[in-house]
Amino acid sequence: MRGKALGAVIHVERLSFRYPGSTCDALRELSLDIEKGSLFGLLGPNGSGKTTLISLLMGLLTPGSGCIDIAQEGVSTRAALVPQDNAFYDCLSVLENLHFFAGVQGIRQSERIAAVIDTADLGAFRHTRAQRLSGGLKRRLNLAIGLLGEPHLLFLDEPTVGIDPQSRHFILEAIKRINAAGTTVVYSSHYMEEVQALCDEVGILDRGRFLARGNLHTLLGGDRGGQLSMGLDRAPDPALREALSHLAQCSDKQLKQLFALLSGTDVSVDRVRYGHADLEALFMHLTGHQLRD
Amino acid sequence: MRASLHLIKKEILLLMRDWHALVLLFVMPAAFILIMSLALQNRFSAQSGVHIGYYLLNRDTGAVDVALLKGLRAMHGFRALPTTASQRELEAQVRGGKPRFVLIVPPGFGESLASDTPVPLRIMATPDVFPAVYRLFQSSVREVLAKVYLKQALNALARQSKGELPSGSIDMDRVNKLLVSQSLYSPGGKGRFPSSVQQNVPAWLLFAMFFIAIPLSTTWVREREQGTYMRLRSMGLGMPTLLFGKLVPYIGLNLLQVISMLLIGVFVVPWFGGNTLTLGHSWPALILMAAVASFAAVAYALLVANLVTTSEQATIFTGVANLLMAALGGIMVPRFVMPQTLQAVSHYSPMAWGLDGFLDVFLRDGGVSMVAGSALKLFAFGGACLVMTGLYMGWRRGKH
Repeated sequence: MRGKALGAVIHVERLSFRYPGSTCDALRELSLDIEKGSLFGLLGPNGSGKTTLISLLMGLLTPGSGCIDIAQEGVSTRAALVPQDNAFYDCLSVLENLHFFAGVQGIRQSERIAAVIDTADLGAFRHTRAQRLSGGLKRRLNLAIGLLGEPHLLFLDEPTVGIDPQSRHFILEAIKRINAAGTTVVYSSHYMEEVQALCDEVGILDRGRFLARGNLHTLLGGDRGGQLSMGLDRAPDPALREALSHLAQCSDKQLKQLFALLSGTDVSVDRVRYGHADLEALFMHLTGHQLRD
Repeated sequence: MRASLHLIKKEILLLMRDWHALVLLFVMPAAFILIMSLALQNRFSAQSGVHIGYYLLNRDTGAVDVALLKGLRAMHGFRALPTTASQRELEAQVRGGKPRFVLIVPPGFGESLASDTPVPLRIMATPDVFPAVYRLFQSSVREVLAKVYLKQALNALARQSKGELPSGSIDMDRVNKLLVSQSLYSPGGKGRFPSSVQQNVPAWLLFAMFFIAIPLSTTWVREREQGTYMRLRSMGLGMPTLLFGKLVPYIGLNLLQVISMLLIGVFVVPWFGGNTLTLGHSWPALILMAAVASFAAVAYALLVANLVTTSEQATIFTGVANLLMAALGGIMVPRFVMPQTLQAVSHYSPMAWGLDGFLDVFLRDGGVSMVAGSALKLFAFGGACLVMTGLYMGWRRGKH
């Protein structure tokens, strides 16, 4: 058995899970370490196993095999989940929702409620019923409920789905502040630019297995099937542009053709970059272009 | 315990703000009890002088026995309506349902009564008449005919024997004095028959109680769909706490339903001209039955709520399942009129156990010992539903 990495708050080893009645594993022999205080991005197409992994880490599902250790220096960690859906009661007001979710956790209510209202900037909507909140406010309430227990470890499952850029910006900034205050964050999303902007570590999950995992910059600059991009010193003429357009996939033979084409013109290459241009390119490269739903 | 209290408080708040559910749970059963009690009042009070009208068309211009017409006009439960219409017109009216019957005394009926080829009386009934009412009308006419015929035959016998029968020796009304019938319905006093409200309220009460499954299951499905259930679990709330948090407020709500429906039976139905509901003499037995029936209904609702996956499924399934349970449990059709096989199956219907218990309280003046068997069965049913709910929830978590 591989040991837990020093400073890891989440240690997962050879974790497998299959839903009752299913014929295939939702997660297969998955191993993962997440460091304390990090902001870990969990990526994957629909049905890749992200929510299952989070549910297992939160103890909502029981692993089929493997082990999960969520602890800091032997002390169990306070963890909280902000689910993908707006998981609160529409008929209750913002304050009633916060009182309820604080109450069931045995949290001293007034101080913490005031703190999370402040973090999510919900002060003006305390007495508004949740059903009357805008999409962005609902997302903020969803986040605020997750913060009630002052978690050491926060699981965010697509927390910015379906909201306007301003609300998204607010939530991302709030997450940065929460992380900067020492909370380890596991951030699951389809929005690559969010993950790229927020996270220092990422894991790309597909069909229950990690296809890539590690430091974001290392992954983007890695040598596995990346992109070769070239900068030309001037715009190519139409004939050259036409010829280049046929070279989308560069095999050795095509690469030779490319250089032969360029040598016959007065256009010269002024820079070459190899690697993934962005996280989305890496994601699409690893998971393929086929539709999953 | 603190978590449970917060769950209960939340559930009460949600219910208070869900007007649709409250209408479903309180107003609809109340209206149902009121309407059914009043609508069925005549049917249940046949012994106390409510009459079904019928046309008596006498076309016998001869010596029809006065006693026959007098007897027909005095038939218990029926009222002869005066008419000058023709037979064809009366037939058309009866076919249309107003009134239910026409009884025709044909020409020459009186003359033929003692002959070998009698001319029969003719009954014509509306197509939608209940078979039981039709048979009652037929029997009542036969009874009058039998008396008239017997008296005539005895008189003929006396004449043949050249002697008159002693005065008063053939008193046909004596037959009525030879039969005494008595309902063993206790709370209403000896000899009285239970009213429609007394016989109906227990059945409709139970029927309405099981409808708690609709709001409970739709709420639970919504919580699952919205992720609040998952969130609560992620906050460390175990399955027993979550179930307890649903069970307590909904049982409370169910008991409020019971109280409101009983109050309607006691105060509102009489106000609309119906009979007053008598609650029996054993409060402990009534409370016990209400409590176990509530427990069974809510536990069943929790099981349904976990088995279904969408709100639509919850609504349709609980609605249809309740109707089936009610039909099987004797809520809609008395069990004693069912075929033997269905009667055997009905012994396993929770609504039948509940109905037996409530009828013991309301009609037989039963105490705790009398309703104990029904109460125990309902409690066991509720317990079994909770255990199955727990097992199913565990299975869905991936525990094998």
